[in-house]
Amino acid sequence: MQWLTEPFQAEFMQRAFLAAIIIGAVAPVVGTWVVLRRMANLGDAMSHGTLAGVGLAYAAGINVLFGAMGAGLLIAVLLVLFSSNRRLGQETVIAVLGTAFFAVGVVVISRLDTGVELTHFLFGRVLTVTWGDIWLNFGLGGSALLVVFALFGELRLATFDHVQAEQVGVRVELVQAVLVVLLAVVVVISLRTVGTVMSVTMLVTPAATSRLFARTLRQMTLWGMCLGVGEAVVGLMLSYHLDSAPGATIGLVAAAVFAIVFAATLPRRMPHHHRPLN
Amino acid sequence: MNRHDHHHHSNLPHDHGNVHSVLDVAGLGVHYGPTEALHNVSFSVGRGELIGVIGPNGSGKSTLFKAICGLVNHTGVVEVNGVHCHDHTDRMDIAYIPQRNDSDLHFPITVGELVLAGRRRFRRWWSRPTAEDRTVASQSLAKVFLEGAEERALSELSGGQLQRAYLARALAQQASVVLLDEALSGVDQPTTLELFEVFRSLAAEGTSLLVATHDLALARRRFDRCLAINGTLRGDGPPEQVLSVELLETVFGSGARDAVVD
Repeated sequence: MQWLTEPFQAEFMQRAFLAAIIIGAVAPVVGTWVVLRRMANLGDAMSHGTLAGVGLAYAAGINVLFGAMGAGLLIAVLLVLFSSNRRLGQETVIAVLGTAFFAVGVVVISRLDTGVELTHFLFGRVLTVTWGDIWLNFGLGGSALLVVFALFGELRLATFDHVQAEQVGVRVELVQAVLVVLLAVVVVISLRTVGTVMSVTMLVTPAATSRLFARTLRQMTLWGMCLGVGEAVVGLMLSYHLDSAPGATIGLVAAAVFAIVFAATLPRRMPHHHRPLN
Repeated sequence: MNRHDHHHHSNLPHDHGNVHSVLDVAGLGVHYGPTEALHNVSFSVGRGELIGVIGPNGSGKSTLFKAICGLVNHTGVVEVNGVHCHDHTDRMDIAYIPQRNDSDLHFPITVGELVLAGRRRFRRWWSRPTAEDRTVASQSLAKVFLEGAEERALSELSGGQLQRAYLARALAQQASVVLLDEALSGVDQPTTLELFEVFRSLAAEGTSLLVATHDLALARRRFDRCLAINGTLRGDGPPEQVLSVELLETVFGSGARDAVVD
């Protein structure tokens, strides 16, 4: 019993748990659409690329969360501009942008002599989260949830059949743009908790896990949220006892749950359940 | 479908340029970059017509449908119910049913949610479906013989049921013209018959259907009118006329002779 309660005693741990719960709840809700739209590589590029904004903001003495947000939005805008090039596929443009921004971040941070380490941003420092960070994450995360809730129907139409969606008046491109902004928001609120690199885990893994068994979108979203929160809390608790890196421990728990659910749902995804197509 | 009732439509199959036609396409052309995918296509569709659009793969059937929907840039004119269409927002009276391979059949969506998507044109983006929307959705499902299927997952449907669910969405959308892209490929004989039963009953109620297919034998037996497409409109008329060997060779190439022999 003490094993369970001990981590919650110190105030810094309470803050860490709150931060982890926020990201655990918000990331899978946005991640549901990332998984369904097969945009996981964009999430990956976005999470690495925000390091440019983080590094520059840190060098300039601004809150790194604003830097991360700025870099995320810039990536989104450049992506739209470059994607119109017919010679390059979108996944190529995503890789070029993500790595370029990541490189900017690494160079800037490596040039700073303040002793700040790259790994703090890449893997988070959940134990140093301040109340200010928590309020900011709460505001950003809450807004992201509200946006997904308000656009739920539009997201569903635009994702399932964008042709018909446009036909009946859904502004498909606008919906997509909003989703990219939400992606940037998730990376920003992951920054201090699990770090930019592990933010993809929270974005994709719980949503992918619930995708394996959920029948409807609502189920997928709610289960993703439950899994995300549970995995964040369990992972943080384990990292306290094992004295391991919190972000990566949360990521490992999420991956383990995915593996278990994948194995458990294997029988119902067997070929005989698929309708023969052609 | 009250909306059809205040028009006086003629059921003549070839009323080109007739003000009573539901869909008028004139001089339609599509370029993909330097490649011309479609050239100067003109035809009209009357109310309640069931038309086969035939042509080999890559002949421009899908492009024609997408151009009619306003989803690809095109030259020429598309008029729906006598109204000139500028962009896709003017074309909500058209419903497009994609090829099965184009949609994610394992997407977590129920049949009811799919059909309600057709009601979106009558709502604003933030509003939820009303009781009336749900009633129309149920009635639409009943018209395609899928009553009570609202809660079923789309991934549980058979090929024929899936096409019918999409048709229900088109009915909920109150579309006057439904474009079905390769609705019949990979579908077995009983399912084909079942689908044609639905097509005919919808056509009888005034919905016009254009069904793209590369199955010539099927087109010959099942449609009253065929449009033969290969880069442009090569033939328009009853199947025995359009599916003449000479015309087919211009559309399908010299292998077509074998294709029509059952």
